[in-house]
Amino acid sequence: MKRITFQHKASQRIYDDYIKRTKRSIRILPKADQEDILMEFNSHIYEGMERGKQGEEVDKLLDILQKLGTPEEVLQPLVAEKKMDQATRTFNPLHVFKALALNITNGVSYIIFAFLYLFLFTFVFLIFAKIAYPEDVGMFFDEDGFMAIGMTSLGYGDGVREVLGHWFIPCMILIIIVLYLFITLLLRLKRTFLKK
Amino acid sequence: MENEFILKWTSQVKKGVLSYIVLRVLGKNEFYGYELIEEVKKYTEIEIAEGTLYPLMNRLKKAGLVDSKWVEQGSGIPRKYYHLTPYGTKTKAGMDVYWGNLCNAIDKIQ
Repeated sequence: MKRITFQHKASQRIYDDYIKRTKRSIRILPKADQEDILMEFNSHIYEGMERGKQGEEVDKLLDILQKLGTPEEVLQPLVAEKKMDQATRTFNPLHVFKALALNITNGVSYIIFAFLYLFLFTFVFLIFAKIAYPEDVGMFFDEDGFMAIGMTSLGYGDGVREVLGHWFIPCMILIIIVLYLFITLLLRLKRTFLKK
Repeated sequence: MENEFILKWTSQVKKGVLSYIVLRVLGKNEFYGYELIEEVKKYTEIEIAEGTLYPLMNRLKKAGLVDSKWVEQGSGIPRKYYHLTPYGTKTKAGMDVYWGNLCNAIDKIQ
C-alpha cells in the first residue's frame, strides 16, 4: 500500500495513527484480505482529501476519518465474516476457534456450534483419563453388546468387559478428528444455505 | 416531524433499503467507494457511517450481486471500482418491481 503524504506534521501523525489502528483491527485476517481492506480505506482517505473544499488540511482529514468511523467498530462485522470464511475454507482449528469467538454474538447457531466443538473435549478428557487410570477408562461391552464409552470408578460388574485395550487412545483421536471435520462441514454448509 | 417514533422508524427504513439504494446507484454506472457514498448522499438524505458501506459491499459481493476491480491511478493509490454482475442486475430488476408495487399500494391507502 502506498502511503499518503501530508504537508503538516499533525495531519501525518493522525493519518499514521488511523492506519495503524486499521491494521491492528484486521491483523487476524489472511494477508490478502488485510491488504485489500487497507488499500480501500487508504483510497477512501485519499479521494476525500482530493475533493474540492478548501480549508485546513488537518480539519479535512479529521472530518473524513470521523465520517469513516473508528476502524475497530466499523470493521468488526467485516472481520468476523471474513474470518469465518477463512475458518470454513481451511478447516484449521485455530481459525475456527477465533472465528467462533468473533461471531458468538451473531446468532444462536454460533453458540450451538461452540457447544458442539466443546463436546469434542470430552474425548480429549477421556484420553488423559485413560493415561492416568488405564483400568477404569475404555469402551465397555456387556452381554447385549455396546454399553458405554467412558470412565467408571466402581469397577465393572459381571459380564462387562473393556474391548479396545491399547487401541482406546488411537480410537478416541480418530473420533475427535472425524467429529471435528463433520462439525466444521456443518458450519460450512450452514453458511452456504443460510446466507444472511 | 421530529417525533421520536418517526425517527426510529426512518432509521429502520434506511437500514432496510440501503442495499437496494446501492444496487440502484450501481445500476447507472460503476463507482469506487468514495464516489458511491457521494452518489448515495446526492439522491437520499441517508447519512451512513461511511465505514459501514465497505462491510455492506463485501456482503453484496459474497451474495454475487456486485463485483469489483482495482484500477491503478496516476497518484499511485488505486481505486476499487464496484459494478453489478448480471445476477445483480436481474436481482435489482426484481427489487424494482417489488418496490414499485409497494409504493403504489401504499399510495392507494388514503
